[in-house]
Amino acid sequence: MATAINEKERGALTHPDVKSFGQVNRDILKMLSRPGPGWWALFAVALAGVGLFFGSWFYQIINGVGVSGLMSPVGWGVYITTFVFWVGIAHSGTLISAILFLFRAPWRQSIYRAAEAMTVFAVMTAGIFPLIHLGRVWHGYWLIPYPNSRFLWPNFRSPLLWDVFAVTTYFTVSAVFFYLGTIPDVAAARDQATGWRRKLYKAVSLGWRGTDREWHHFGKAYIFLAAFATPLVLSVHSVVSWDFAMSIVPGWHATIFAPYFVAGAIFSGVAMVITLTVPLRKIFKLEAYLTVRHFDAMAKLILLTSLIVLYAYLSEFFMAWYSGEEIERSMFWNRLFGDYWWATWTMLVCNGLIPVMLWFKRVRHSIPALFVITLFINIGMWFERYVIIVTSLSHEYEPFAWGMYRPSLTEMGIMVGSFGWFFFWFLIFTRILPPVAIAELKEVLPAPLRGARKEGAV
Amino acid sequence: MSDGIKRRDFLKVVGAGGAGASMFGCSTQQVEKLLPYVVPDEEITPGVSTWYTSVCGECPAGCGTWVRTREGRVVKVEGNPDHPISEGALCSKGYSAVQGLYNPDRLTSPMVREGDDFRGIGWEEAEALLAERLQGSGGHLFLTGPMGHSMTELVDEFLATVGGARVEYDGLSEAPLREATRIAFGRNVLPTFDFAGSRLVLSFGADFLETWLSPVEYHRSFARMAGVDDHGTKGRFVFLGPRLSLTGQNADEWVPLQAGAEGVVALAMANVIARDGGNAGPYQAFLRAYDPAAAEEASGVPAAEIEALAQRFVSEGPSLAVGPGVAGHHRNATAANLAVLILNTVAGNVGRTVRLDTVDQASAARPFAELRAAMAGMDRVGVAMVHGANPAFSLPEGAGFQEAFGAAGFRVSFASAMDETAALSDLILPDRHPLEAWGDSNPRPGLFALQQPAMQPVPHFDSKQTGDVLLSVSARMGRDLGPATFFDFLRDRWRDIRPLVTADQSFDAFWRESLRKGVVEMPNRRGDAPVALRSPDTPLIFDFPALDGDGEFTLMVYPSPRFGDGKHANRPWLQELPDPVSKMAWHSWVEVNPHAAERLGLRTGDVVAVRSPHGQVEVPVWTYPGIREDTVALAMGGGHTSYGRFADGNGENVMALLSGDVEQPSGALLHLAARVTLEATGERRPMATIEGSSDQHDRPIAPAVSVTALGHGGGGEAAEEGEHGQGGHGELKEIQALGGFAPVATEGKPEDFPLEGSRHGQYDPEENPRWAMAIDLDKCTGCSACVTACQAENNVPWVGEEQVVMGRDMHWVRMERYYETVDASHSGPVDVRFLPMICQHCGNAPCEPVCPVYAAYHTPEGLNAQVYNRCVGTRYCANNCPYKVRVFNWFGFSDVPEPMNWGYNPDVTVRSNGVMEKCSFCVHRIREGQNRARIEGQRPVRDGEVVPACQQSCPAEAIVFGDIRDPHSRVAQLSQNERSYRVLDALINTQPAVTYLKKVTFHEVQSGEH
Repeated sequence: MATAINEKERGALTHPDVKSFGQVNRDILKMLSRPGPGWWALFAVALAGVGLFFGSWFYQIINGVGVSGLMSPVGWGVYITTFVFWVGIAHSGTLISAILFLFRAPWRQSIYRAAEAMTVFAVMTAGIFPLIHLGRVWHGYWLIPYPNSRFLWPNFRSPLLWDVFAVTTYFTVSAVFFYLGTIPDVAAARDQATGWRRKLYKAVSLGWRGTDREWHHFGKAYIFLAAFATPLVLSVHSVVSWDFAMSIVPGWHATIFAPYFVAGAIFSGVAMVITLTVPLRKIFKLEAYLTVRHFDAMAKLILLTSLIVLYAYLSEFFMAWYSGEEIERSMFWNRLFGDYWWATWTMLVCNGLIPVMLWFKRVRHSIPALFVITLFINIGMWFERYVIIVTSLSHEYEPFAWGMYRPSLTEMGIMVGSFGWFFFWFLIFTRILPPVAIAELKEVLPAPLRGARKEGAV
Repeated sequence: MSDGIKRRDFLKVVGAGGAGASMFGCSTQQVEKLLPYVVPDEEITPGVSTWYTSVCGECPAGCGTWVRTREGRVVKVEGNPDHPISEGALCSKGYSAVQGLYNPDRLTSPMVREGDDFRGIGWEEAEALLAERLQGSGGHLFLTGPMGHSMTELVDEFLATVGGARVEYDGLSEAPLREATRIAFGRNVLPTFDFAGSRLVLSFGADFLETWLSPVEYHRSFARMAGVDDHGTKGRFVFLGPRLSLTGQNADEWVPLQAGAEGVVALAMANVIARDGGNAGPYQAFLRAYDPAAAEEASGVPAAEIEALAQRFVSEGPSLAVGPGVAGHHRNATAANLAVLILNTVAGNVGRTVRLDTVDQASAARPFAELRAAMAGMDRVGVAMVHGANPAFSLPEGAGFQEAFGAAGFRVSFASAMDETAALSDLILPDRHPLEAWGDSNPRPGLFALQQPAMQPVPHFDSKQTGDVLLSVSARMGRDLGPATFFDFLRDRWRDIRPLVTADQSFDAFWRESLRKGVVEMPNRRGDAPVALRSPDTPLIFDFPALDGDGEFTLMVYPSPRFGDGKHANRPWLQELPDPVSKMAWHSWVEVNPHAAERLGLRTGDVVAVRSPHGQVEVPVWTYPGIREDTVALAMGGGHTSYGRFADGNGENVMALLSGDVEQPSGALLHLAARVTLEATGERRPMATIEGSSDQHDRPIAPAVSVTALGHGGGGEAAEEGEHGQGGHGELKEIQALGGFAPVATEGKPEDFPLEGSRHGQYDPEENPRWAMAIDLDKCTGCSACVTACQAENNVPWVGEEQVVMGRDMHWVRMERYYETVDASHSGPVDVRFLPMICQHCGNAPCEPVCPVYAAYHTPEGLNAQVYNRCVGTRYCANNCPYKVRVFNWFGFSDVPEPMNWGYNPDVTVRSNGVMEKCSFCVHRIREGQNRARIEGQRPVRDGEVVPACQQSCPAEAIVFGDIRDPHSRVAQLSQNERSYRVLDALINTQPAVTYLKKVTFHEVQSGEH
């Protein structure tokens, strides 16, 4: 890996405030010390969210999916919306760490660890939702092709089954990729830690010593996994989009869905990275490592994907009109001006209009502005999935069967609770693993001077 | 597989060993429970249904029934095909009899009042108490609903010994029609009407498809008239009334006639016909006063229109005019009915389409006036007994029944479940349900039917048949009436019937035959002879009737097609059945014309106070284009207060708006006699409706074809649809074909099946039939009997009001209703389309590939099966179903109160929480037919042998089921009809097995309208 960065790139993104390798170790590993009251407060909130999440789910299992607001004809609602939302969030981690790694985008070093952790936890969150929405969750394992006495197989033609494979594969690969990348840093942490942490890091770092041979193998494995994960970034959200595109529901059945969803996922994922790293940077005083230039680069990515997503929206509406197909037209008219107009316009404003501000450098360089904008994008992208799912189902082929879905408190509880579940893991992560990749950061720092060597440590 | 132990053998051994071990290991008591058929009941074979003939006890129409029992329990009621009234069909109320039988709110024992409460007592004590009270002084009163003739005789004999009077009261009796018939022809009978033999039917507000006289019979008769025949002709139906009831929605033309103007218009029409040569007998001179110009002034209907209609009434004959019914019982209702009879006579219909049966029948149901007279003398009554009626609920407060009843010395109710009248009584002696009791019926002169019990009394309820109670009480009082049981009494009465019906049969043979067939008919009972009008003996006023109050709207209170006057309200199937007109369930509503609502600033769902001079109710508004702007309508039957868990608190009792006055001279209760105001309360209420949109939005869901276009290459719209529907326009079609997904065109020929692209899963078209259904939308009236029949057959749960509001009703049949032309502002064509939407059993089903666990799959017979125990509940199939016929068990809806679970059909799985379900084409009935064919010498299944529950129920005979690959089957022939189409198939290539036949209209179907 060390060879991967050339001098020019190194110069392009120097961290002017980082003076030495030793400072990196100190600054980053400091985050792993005993948490303060602020962390505990956040953790308590997250725990409450976890309680809400599982409490609501348990309530639903005991009583039936009827405690949600789902009905006929809207059989999917907040649960699948939130599922797709979290799968989308899960996208940027692998994008930033793997694809940008392969493309040699040097600004990824500071953020990729947090982004990867976000990916793993977001998939862990997303993966629960298909189970939550099942009518009989206790039979959920029937979707897995396991040997059984009746030789019953799942239906490989069903996009839901593809989902099972896509999401589990994605989770496995991102988790391994995440873990692999942390090994040198965990070793660094091990060398400073005491007590149970030392034992933990010792086991997790697999006896990493930092020898050339180890770095050589590490580099090979990393680049291999990066290459392996890259197609998954594209495939997993394509497969999720096929849950919709493969059906015949007006508003779902569209060839544009796979690229549209992938772009949307990167859009929402990068937005979520900013939403997460802005407070992280503030709390842990990582300004030296997460510079404005990093945020600027991410904002540009958001701007690009925002344009793709907006193009997808517009082309959907255009195609509905241009096709002359009455049912399709009626559905999209209803999407804009029907019962759910507010959701659609929220989506359009948050995802299409607000990101336009990112054309301005001043906005891209203003951390508070970015934070607010990305919050809106997160909201907008949740509504995008809500709009796709709910408005389409509520206004299908049979006018007499049209209906109106209103989410219930249980659904909202699970949706809100899922954030608690996500942050529960993320908060633990910030205290257990170095949230900024120490080893890779050092690659982009100027080579240490002789005199400073005594401070160096890996 | 030949060597070693086969799995099946192994299980047998284990099973036998286990059973043996349990027999020896357990106490004898348990063995008894395990083996109920140690001495098998000769009529019961486990797993095989036993059918009994009986009579439907739900309304006085007297449909014959076949009661299906399994292992000694009633599981379904169906129409008796041999009975001339039902001819195999039944209405929703009839199907719900099972829920009356197993109703958890039935009383578990006789009850005696203790203060404000009741205490359960034994029958011994209860009968002793009644006998003691009857010994007391004062005349007694036996107030009863419509009863069979044997029971009537018994009551009369009983009252003769204990002293007292019988008053028979039916809240929905057509007393004005009976009185008018008496005045016109001197016969004390209700005429019968032959819709099938007519070519032009006029209804002056008679809702003969819902509640009027004999809905099932007239339904079939009407459908035979209104359905287009092989020659492309059909009869016309003109509805004249202020509100389109379900009957009105089936009309071809609507004259939005003001309520009360029927008499004037009918007489003006008779005037025109008489002027042109019709014979009005003694009314000839009288009619001269009613010329169309005068009628125009009185009714607002243009004279030219009346004249034209009158001329058509003769020229397009045979014709028939009926009405007005209960909803139109205004102060001059007898006069209006007489006017309609005069119109029929002048047009020469009497003896042709209007028949006066030969035998005079002593009036069965007496008008309300008689009850009112009895109430006036209630304080002199010793024991007031109420049987089969609930006047405390079904009469307006102004009638004063509650106070009057309270004045009686001792109050006895024979209600089998608590009702509002029983709640006022001192003693309740729960009667048996008709399905567990003997009885008979005499619905027409010369037509007798036996009601035999189909099962032992439901053991949860310690009930006793009222006939038996009367016999035993009179014996107790030392006045033995002879027979020991009501069964013996009934059998004795039937000894008198035998000679009327047959001369040469022994009584035992006659009795057996009557029980087997369920019905016997006197020869030549039908009155086909023309009857002349006679001079009126009663002064009548034909003018516009007076209305109480000065509100803005005329109030129309109509009997609910689901609950009648409220008798059936405690049955969840009926509560949940969407009203055929409003598509609402569980609660009440007031129908207001959209223009009137707009004027008042009201929207559907706004709760309004409806105020008449007599009372007020608060109900939500439902805007309905099928009602005049000056009229509002409410259905009876809601708002029970003490009738059971499913009825209490649902809706409002609209009788509160009525005065309780009577019509003269028939004595009927006035239903249309008040004007009301509407006032918004500011509240809104979620509506429990299944209606998404009543507009087809230009989609080919329920298209129509005009009668003139028939026979010209597939009908006007078919050609048009060919362009629009068959996968779009030329180029698009080509592109679709290139992509390999162009809809497969078919004219429904047997050899076309299986269609290309429908060989999914294990479907083996070589070995198997392709089950298919054809539904004739020109016959379908939207009555929704199929909805309840399906619910009864397939253990379809009900979900309750809250869930219906959310859109979670679970019916497998969704009776869709689309307005095409409904305009209350002037006379003209009316076009309301009905479409029973069920699972289409697509050959190329969108639901199948999306199920991740193969719960939705294609069976070897090409059906779309739903494997309930494999379903994990992703609901993807429902999302992907373009017809939206899949319903989901959001909760454990099948967990019903004991003993309602006794009514479950054992042939159909009871579904659990979290699984998807839908119409199965009654696959268990297909299996039954196939098994029967196999047992009877491996013969093939005959066409028409497999009948799904919906087809079985359809009184309009609109549904046909069979194998579409058999060129001789009816379904194959109907599928090739020029009117046939498959919903959305041409757009999305689903290849449904259900073929619909377009409705045929008399007006031109507008271009672009489907």
